[in-house]
Amino acid sequence: MPELPPKKVGIVTCSGEELPEGTVTRLAALRVLEQLRPGETVTICLPLFLAGGEGDRAFAKFYPTIAIDGCDKRCAYYGTTRYSNEPAASLVITDLVKKHGLDKPDGLRKLNKAGLQAVEMAAHEMAAQVDSILGKSWNRARGEFGQSNNIEQPEETTTATCSCGSGIPITKLNISNQEITVVGLPLIFETFQEKDKEPSAATLDEIMDMVKIYNHIEIDAEPALRAEIQKGYEAYFRKNEK
Amino acid sequence: MTEYLETTVDKFIFKVATDRLYTSEGLWAKNEDSLVRIGVTDFFQQRNGDIAFVNLQPAGKMLEINDEVASIETIKVNLSLSSPVRGKILNINQKVVTKPEIINQDPYNEGWLCELSVNNWAEESKKLLSPEQYFIKMKNDAEEEVRKG
Amino acid sequence: MNRATKVNIVPCSGIGKSFGSVSRLAAYYITEDDRPAETEMVPLALLVLGDKETNDTVLSNSSISLDGCKLQCAKKMIGECGGQIARDLVVLDVYRDHRDLKPAGIAELNEAGEKLARALADKVDPIIDQTLGKTGEGKNA
Repeated sequence: MPELPPKKVGIVTCSGEELPEGTVTRLAALRVLEQLRPGETVTICLPLFLAGGEGDRAFAKFYPTIAIDGCDKRCAYYGTTRYSNEPAASLVITDLVKKHGLDKPDGLRKLNKAGLQAVEMAAHEMAAQVDSILGKSWNRARGEFGQSNNIEQPEETTTATCSCGSGIPITKLNISNQEITVVGLPLIFETFQEKDKEPSAATLDEIMDMVKIYNHIEIDAEPALRAEIQKGYEAYFRKNEK
Repeated sequence: MTEYLETTVDKFIFKVATDRLYTSEGLWAKNEDSLVRIGVTDFFQQRNGDIAFVNLQPAGKMLEINDEVASIETIKVNLSLSSPVRGKILNINQKVVTKPEIINQDPYNEGWLCELSVNNWAEESKKLLSPEQYFIKMKNDAEEEVRKG
Repeated sequence: MNRATKVNIVPCSGIGKSFGSVSRLAAYYITEDDRPAETEMVPLALLVLGDKETNDTVLSNSSISLDGCKLQCAKKMIGECGGQIARDLVVLDVYRDHRDLKPAGIAELNEAGEKLARALADKVDPIIDQTLGKTGEGKNA
């Protein structure tokens, strides 16, 4: 079975500039992305869900995501849920500060001692969430933890990456006069083609299994989608044949 | 109209124009009526980030292969670009000096860097990569970067 | 017609590059130090949330967007909310005028980054005057 792309956890911060807790979210996220879990995390700017393209909006579906917010307005959590997908985990700095009995952070440009303590605390809470999420099977189709797919995830790690502007590949297919968006199809085709998996019924079964990991497919739509994907893969394989 | 080879690596889409030749460092060279136009590839500009400054060698300068043809400062790195061919610089693209973002926006067309007169293009071109060869190299480099992070 | 009394300052929220930090620091210089009475910081996150009070602020006053990169999320978000943009600035463009101030660091900017943020804030100052219909008053008025 071809390898899936390496698993990573997405981090979305509120980054709010009006409250010290917003600064805490930013610094805590950077601590995780650069030092605590560099190979296993990736971030995207929250506004890109609206200002970016469909690939950016697929971020929280493709990656199980942790939303980290400064206050109970929870801009990162609600924004991600509304425009991308519900985050796998949600942390709020004001709640965490209370839970750990820390002093209230202060300072917008430069945090005070309490603020720096909150950064460390929040970063470690986030890192623990990353570990927990990576230990579970993430169902990209439903954007939630699901049953095991019996697919071994590769253990390679890479340093943190910013997803700004790059987007997840999206393909729109017209099936029975309905437009269906399929996430990750070019990546999936490439994975199979790299392994020299010639178009066949068995290969198509495997491709559909992988498509269903990334996308929710209605049972009624599956036969027509399968036919389209078969055509697509045959053309892709011929074009890129070594 | 320019045609492209295209690949997706991780979240990124990279294009390689099929009507020119390449160096493994990510420069392209296109023969246009006895002039050879030079620029950087889509992979090069995506990998190195938004370009802040471009310094081009002046028109009239004679270059050997691998002499510096331009230097680029991006938000990530400072890079010296090596000439893919031997020739004399006839024209430079002043637009990219004043608006370097053109290189990021349109690396294969409006973002060209300079034009050289080359005595023996047939000989010079043998040292360069075909679009297909560069495509494979670029894809491997991109995948390696994703693996490394 | 009532003269506008405030200008919104909308910085980038990006944490992937130091230019995002520069835009944020410049926004703090403007709204906290230079022109606190005439400017209002607008966090992008609240615009994404659709926070009513923030939306009303964007609709009531003209905005100056300070973006870290060419994706220009701040400029686009103001437009999405129906706000008016007095000027859109990108940190990279300001850097081109101050080549000696190469910013580094995201969590903590280097000295050059802080100076670049100062240069950006200085560039915004006359735009605030222009937007409010004032002539040459500036931050030292």
